[in-house]
Amino acid sequence: MNLQKKTITRYRQFFPGETLRETSSRTGIQITRIFRLFGGKTMKVTEMEAFEKVVSDRIAESPNFSRLNEVLEEASALLTNEELGNLTAYVKRKLVAKSYSRMYIRQTFNDAIIA
Amino acid sequence: MKGLSSLERIVLECLGKNTLTYEEIQGQSGLHENVCFNILQALIIRSILTTDGVRYRMSENLSPLMLEEINGMDAKIAESLEMIEAVVENKGQRVFRFQKIAMDTRDEKIFLAMLSNLESFLIDAHKKAQSSVPLKERKVVFWGVGEVQSLMNQIVMGN
Repeated sequence: MNLQKKTITRYRQFFPGETLRETSSRTGIQITRIFRLFGGKTMKVTEMEAFEKVVSDRIAESPNFSRLNEVLEEASALLTNEELGNLTAYVKRKLVAKSYSRMYIRQTFNDAIIA
Repeated sequence: MKGLSSLERIVLECLGKNTLTYEEIQGQSGLHENVCFNILQALIIRSILTTDGVRYRMSENLSPLMLEEINGMDAKIAESLEMIEAVVENKGQRVFRFQKIAMDTRDEKIFLAMLSNLESFLIDAHKKAQSSVPLKERKVVFWGVGEVQSLMNQIVMGN
């Protein structure tokens, strides 16, 4: 997956089921441009930064996220491979349970238009 | 994810060897409609379930590798922890006791005998009511005992 696709996928994880109009107003990018970007048109650096900023602002709303990152870095240095595996499995289970209760995240261009 | 989440397991337990509709599975499991539907789709994608579009059933040709993944020790431990965590964090009518008890050898023997009686009682109760009580109304019961020193060592060693 290239960086642009990753950025859009990550954005959609944070804002699932959002319409093009909502994405446009959140990022400040014109709706027709969002339409093209979701269709695979190459992003400009400023547009990528706009998506990244929205995501990082959302992350900043939960201060525990940076704590989690710090702890994970420490864990990767101190814990054994088996312990890291257990931690990963634990977090993964939380994510799977959460994903069942969330709306389906629309990944494709056509679905985004319908939304 | 390896193994099954406890949500997925509930759906499989509802099905057992039967063929059920979505409404029947949802009614028996007590899962929210969306959640139930999403789990069914996920299990179909993993080839654990099959469907004719209306009714769902367990796949008959699950590979030994898949069976091990579903029923293996790692999967069971992870599921148990998930359920225990849910009980501990339950904000409703929670029954949960956790204590460090001083027991002499005699009392320890009595306690283990009582646990054995408790287990027999639970097995009988389950046999008696399993056909009439739907899965969603069943109780999650767990117990365990360990010695503080060996548990602490285990925690330090990370096993």
